[in-house]
Amino acid sequence: MASPDITTFQPRLRVLNREQALAIHTAALEILEKTGFKMEHPRVLEMLADKGCKISDGDWVCMPPHLVEEALKTAPKQITLYDQKNAKAMELANENSFYGTGSDATFTQDLETGERRRTVLQDVSHFAKLVDGLENIDFAMSMANPEDAPIEDIYVYVFAEMVKNTHKPIVFIADSGRDIAKIHEIACLVVGGEEELQSRPFILNYSEAISPLRFPENVMEKLIFCAQKKVPLCLPSGSNAGGGAPVTLAGAMALGIAENLVGLVVHQMAGKGSPFLFGPNVSALDMKSSVVCYGCPEWSLTQAALADMRDEIYGLPIWAFAGASDAKVMDAQAGAEAMFSIITALLSRSNLIHDVGFLEYGSTSSLEMITMANELIAMSRYYVQGIPVNDGTLALEAIERVGRGGPGSIFLMDDHTYNHFMDALFLPKLLDRSRYDAWKNEGGMNLYKRCNMEAKRILLEHEVDPKPDTVLTEIEQILKSS
Amino acid sequence: MSEFKALTDAVMKGDIQTAVAETQSALDAGANVQDILDKGLIVAMDEVGEKFSTGQMFVPQMLRSAKTMQECMKLIKPLFQEGQLTAKGKVVIGTVRQDLHDIGKNLVAMMMEGAGFTITDLGVDVSPKDFTQKAEEVGADIVAMSALLSTTMPAMRETIKALQDAGIRDKVKVMIGGAPVTENFALEIKADAYAPDAGSAVIAAKKLLGIS
Repeated sequence: MASPDITTFQPRLRVLNREQALAIHTAALEILEKTGFKMEHPRVLEMLADKGCKISDGDWVCMPPHLVEEALKTAPKQITLYDQKNAKAMELANENSFYGTGSDATFTQDLETGERRRTVLQDVSHFAKLVDGLENIDFAMSMANPEDAPIEDIYVYVFAEMVKNTHKPIVFIADSGRDIAKIHEIACLVVGGEEELQSRPFILNYSEAISPLRFPENVMEKLIFCAQKKVPLCLPSGSNAGGGAPVTLAGAMALGIAENLVGLVVHQMAGKGSPFLFGPNVSALDMKSSVVCYGCPEWSLTQAALADMRDEIYGLPIWAFAGASDAKVMDAQAGAEAMFSIITALLSRSNLIHDVGFLEYGSTSSLEMITMANELIAMSRYYVQGIPVNDGTLALEAIERVGRGGPGSIFLMDDHTYNHFMDALFLPKLLDRSRYDAWKNEGGMNLYKRCNMEAKRILLEHEVDPKPDTVLTEIEQILKSS
Repeated sequence: MSEFKALTDAVMKGDIQTAVAETQSALDAGANVQDILDKGLIVAMDEVGEKFSTGQMFVPQMLRSAKTMQECMKLIKPLFQEGQLTAKGKVVIGTVRQDLHDIGKNLVAMMMEGAGFTITDLGVDVSPKDFTQKAEEVGADIVAMSALLSTTMPAMRETIKALQDAGIRDKVKVMIGGAPVTENFALEIKADAYAPDAGSAVIAAKKLLGIS
């Protein structure tokens, strides 16, 4: 008999030891104290000076480490995102992982023609609706930078489009303090008011500082807005190895973390206790094409390292990426790269994992790619559950029955199989395991084709209850006033 | 075989020390400065450009070669009479108004310089007025603009308009690039060329000015 209370080990990846984690953290603090950074928001500059930062050359700031320590103490260790029906959807804390799409793709792979074309607003609605209909995709981002939206209010338009087509949490982009206020207004309409949004936020803002060490005014405007309104926010910079940051991953991480810490310090000054999702984007610049890679092992490795630093030092929920590729079409490379980042993000327990469904280093979005990723995430989640060991799973009784059952006795017929197969095994929906003849008779389709059909089916059949007419009317008014 | 083979090799390898020494010894031996430039340095950078575009060289190696060439240029530049240095063309480059992202722009500037263009880099957040004034001032052949954010792309159109208003649009070619920028957008705003990356930017610039 097995002991009834054997805990299940859930496979877990670690890539840094404590000494490494502390050394990178210390380097980040040293960057802020010795090298400093460029702060282009005048009021923030004053705030930092008041707190004891050294200012030189007008807007160059050197920050003492104690400010970082204080901010780490006041930032909440848990951020809960709700869906748009007020239900808890994503508890960003500890080892919880959630996947979602990405933003701002210039192109998309057309679902009907398969061609790469410029994105339009309608794509935003399709992506949001698909996200809504996929069980392993937890939040939506725009996946498009539509050419038919007025450019000065492009982020307001894509936000409105997402709200109309999904009830899941939304990670949104804004340009400045001006359009973020409009987006916030729409979000308040959806949940019935500013207080409601504060207590049950369904939105999280993604902004970026510029690596190395530059904090533009419009970026800080958004950060202060979020801190004051308690809208959860992340502020990763593009501290990519060889691009915005040193080519060696340790240095790139130290720089990206330093930049994130600046964001955190200012954020906590502007709104003590407001939610801040931690983490830089540390991918690699490709040394031939100079693109920022979305399918490379470097990004997966640095975010696993960040998860270790979260556990060793920061204790804040973290930002991550997965399910994307540098391939131009959804081919074997796309599948391999997507799976590599999806499983490692989960194995290292990244918290909020975006960019699912990108091709072409984030320039092209693909509905099929998200549909495939949905299944790869299921596969990874199955793996990470580990192997529960108890009387039920050791199944000695079933072994006894079938083993001694004589000719014709098979496990497939046994009640134990019938009772447990759905939980015990991973049952794929799109990954094909049919016998050759069956596959051939069904049209001999590859995974891309099957994902294409599945995405089309979901867009046709999945229903998102519309937002109330009053809300929709007010959203239209906000858009018109733009 | 070129008399400047050692120099050419050193530039291709990005060996600054050797390249500078080779340049100096060529000068000491009385070589023609235009020959050092054309047959030594530019030949090397053409080959570097070729190797880079066919994937036989990495970006940092290409940039080191460009830097090596610049170091050699420091020695020979003062020896040219005013206006005598025949450059491939004058390029005024920058990121457009409100856009502060300059990695791509810097790469383009370095590669164009390596290919023999004379670069005036205006940096980031360059207003239509500044682009126009500088283009007039240096007599630019090309104005090259970069944008990373879709929200800053309209500034490209405005810059082209500013060039028109200043009456110099027909004297300069306009090139644009950056992540959200597309060929269609270039057509729409009537830019003369769009380049998706630094390597293509050099090729496009040469094509615009009708040089090989």
